[in-house]
Amino acid sequence: MDFLDYLSRSGDNLFELSLEHINLVLISMGLAILIGVPLGITAHRKTRWNPIILSGAGIMLTIPSLALLAIFVPIFGLGAPPAIAGLTLYALYPIISNTVAGLQSVSPAIVKASRGMGMGSWRRLAKVELPLAWPVIITGVRVSTQVVVGIAAIAAIVGGPGLGNEIFRGLRSLGSPGAENLVYGGTLAVVIVAYLFDAAFILIRRFTTPRGIR
Amino acid sequence: MAVAPAPVVETESKQSQTRKKLALFGTPIFIITVLLATYLWISSLELDSIEMRVLNKEVLTESLMEHLYLTGISTALVILIAIPLGILVTRPSLKRATPFVLGLANAGQAIPSFGLLTIVVIWFGIGVQGVIFGLVAYSTLPILRNTMIGIQQVDKSLIKAARGMGMSTRQVLARVEMPLAVPVMLAGIRTALIINVGTATLATFFGAGGLGFVIFNGIQLNRDPVLVTGVVMVSALALSVDYLAGVIGRLASPRGL
Amino acid sequence: MSTNSTSEVMIELDELTKTFPGQSVPAVDKLSLTIQKGEIVVFVGPSGCGKTTSMELINRLIEPTSGRIILEGEDVTDAQVDSLRRRIGYVIQETGLFPHRTIAQNIATVPGMIGWKKGRMDERVDELLGLIGMEPSQYRDRFPKELSGGQRQRVGVARAMAADPPVMLMDEPFGAIDPITRERLQNEFLRLQAQIQKTVVFVTHDIDEAIKMGDKIVVLKEQSHIAQFASPEEILSSPADDYVSDFIGQGASLKRLNLTRIRDIEMATDTPTGTAHEELSTLRQRLAESPWSTMMILDDQHRPMRWVGGRDLNRANAGEDIAKLGLPATATVEPQATLSDALNELITSNGGVAIVVDGSGVFQGVVDIESILTAVRTMREENSQFYLAQKEISEAID
Repeated sequence: MDFLDYLSRSGDNLFELSLEHINLVLISMGLAILIGVPLGITAHRKTRWNPIILSGAGIMLTIPSLALLAIFVPIFGLGAPPAIAGLTLYALYPIISNTVAGLQSVSPAIVKASRGMGMGSWRRLAKVELPLAWPVIITGVRVSTQVVVGIAAIAAIVGGPGLGNEIFRGLRSLGSPGAENLVYGGTLAVVIVAYLFDAAFILIRRFTTPRGIR
Repeated sequence: MAVAPAPVVETESKQSQTRKKLALFGTPIFIITVLLATYLWISSLELDSIEMRVLNKEVLTESLMEHLYLTGISTALVILIAIPLGILVTRPSLKRATPFVLGLANAGQAIPSFGLLTIVVIWFGIGVQGVIFGLVAYSTLPILRNTMIGIQQVDKSLIKAARGMGMSTRQVLARVEMPLAVPVMLAGIRTALIINVGTATLATFFGAGGLGFVIFNGIQLNRDPVLVTGVVMVSALALSVDYLAGVIGRLASPRGL
Repeated sequence: MSTNSTSEVMIELDELTKTFPGQSVPAVDKLSLTIQKGEIVVFVGPSGCGKTTSMELINRLIEPTSGRIILEGEDVTDAQVDSLRRRIGYVIQETGLFPHRTIAQNIATVPGMIGWKKGRMDERVDELLGLIGMEPSQYRDRFPKELSGGQRQRVGVARAMAADPPVMLMDEPFGAIDPITRERLQNEFLRLQAQIQKTVVFVTHDIDEAIKMGDKIVVLKEQSHIAQFASPEEILSSPADDYVSDFIGQGASLKRLNLTRIRDIEMATDTPTGTAHEELSTLRQRLAESPWSTMMILDDQHRPMRWVGGRDLNRANAGEDIAKLGLPATATVEPQATLSDALNELITSNGGVAIVVDGSGVFQGVVDIESILTAVRTMREENSQFYLAQKEISEAID
């Protein structure tokens, strides 16, 4: 059976798994943004916390991804939850560090001017600092997403959803005819999903960056 | 398994110094504490026969050795391939290839480690050799990319000044570009080590053992002590390797940088 | 310090002190100062004297360690800080404009925070853009990066004035701008101030700027100790001590040219003028009837265009475009420019005179070197004490 045959027969299945994969990435990234951006803001504002937050998130990147996903199995059992938890932790560092970098890149003069005009600290954050840091933050999210799309393929090992299941299925039946096609198909689909996300980010960045700083 | 992107602005602030200190002393303390806590926890448990099959000195040592072996050999190969290649591609005579190779390296980052490893093993056969090829294939592109960017970042005015003093292209490479690019290359080696430690965790699926064996056994047998032991060991290994590479890298960097 | 009419006092600083954490010496030490309503008070001093810190204590960007700040008779030392700052306009050297917001949004920052309705804000934005000489329809929706440095600084001033605060703090507002534009902005601000009558605290390290801008000057030395608090005239003519005279530096008499403005001296308004549309014979006759050898050709908005002489008018007869004849009318100054500005322009001018124009560039008259010298002579007679002081100093140097 050649690869094209496989594609035409398993197209629907691959599409289904791709949607699962995308869903898994979206949920993990959503959580990572909800956690990472506030942590980045905290690290920027409370300088005492900065080293702890950044080192902590940095450790997540060093820990082997399978270990990071597996450690949640005793807590959540097999399935999507440990995968989501692990992927979320993995995604944190680029988001946090770019949030900090983006906020730090806001010119001190602008911060001073807004304080001098009587902007409170939260209003300043919302109206001035975050909009100006946005392009850097979104870049961090984009980098995270690239990483997470790839690692999400491992989710299958802890019983999670997504394209990893196709690769895993191929891997388990290696030796039987056509098994390698499953691996090729799953991997190719992950690459395509990664490119789709990247393209989406280029558009998002383009349309969400304020005109004056584009 | 990709590498932390350098934040756009990295100021040598007080925070980053505290961070360095935290990393220098905090990391070993953290690793030792976690290992010790895990050891004490496991020792306090009444292990059943299934758990005993994995959680014994022989199996754990063997897994660790396999993991180190896979990581060591693949990292050595990657360094031998990617760093010279990175330097070669940034030479003036090959400069036109630079953007192409960089583009390829960037595009290649979209390939998932699990998929790439499986494909390479399909081509080169199940076992240690196939997995090593897979690890090399997966980590070459990022290291190549880092090396090229590092060399490109060497201040152009320094090169001009060196040429102006009458150095030949080769002398500029040896006396200016290479020394200045050393930190970049050391960072590349460190990155390669971390990527390979991480990816080698998957080796167990391809009959090459490693600490992934312990983790996967824990998952399959539904034995949390086994799983946690595997996770803690491989994480401690990755953090130690990262830590040591960082310390050695700092010592080996030319002074003044 | 005047104590007569407290109703006229805008800002009172009472033994204001700031000691930064970890430092044994205060950066600002017991600064006491009374600032009258409607005057420009300039803090001047060498770098590190604490002048910016002193200013930032007023809007509490830096919280004082001790002392009181009284604004319009109200003790604001412990008032809610954001609402205090909204009552005080603030302009800094780097402008601090928000790059992601339009010029209109930038200007409307404070009105937006204090809850103005949109219609009122729009009106105010247009009014302010008009005041700083930037056509509202053209600039309202632009972004800061699309403006020149001078325009950005103008917008910075407009933004500070937006909610019509009684007090403005200006920290080296024109410090980062090229000399020509700086001079123009200084003059524009003085013209504006004549209309709006704000109480302004202005920080600079440049004594010439201080003399030009200030109604009063506070010369500060280390830890913000006041070396002298007086009018520019007084500071130039009777510096309180060696520190002040050292700070004024060489050429105090030349600096006095910064004290008098064009509008205060007599300018020649009898220069013959004409436009390119008029009959040549009419122009020629007008020139012949005047005591001048050249006449000024104005454009349709009455802005100076060319200097032309009798010979040029004859050549125009032969079919040449009058707008290309003679010499371009350079060296224009506004009435609020100082004699120093005028002298500068005059020296490099074509006609040997400085052309005076109003804010929109309409021709007003000319100033020549004679009228400047006359003014200087009057000044010396008015203040012979100053003259004598100068002589003593120069003899001492000899």
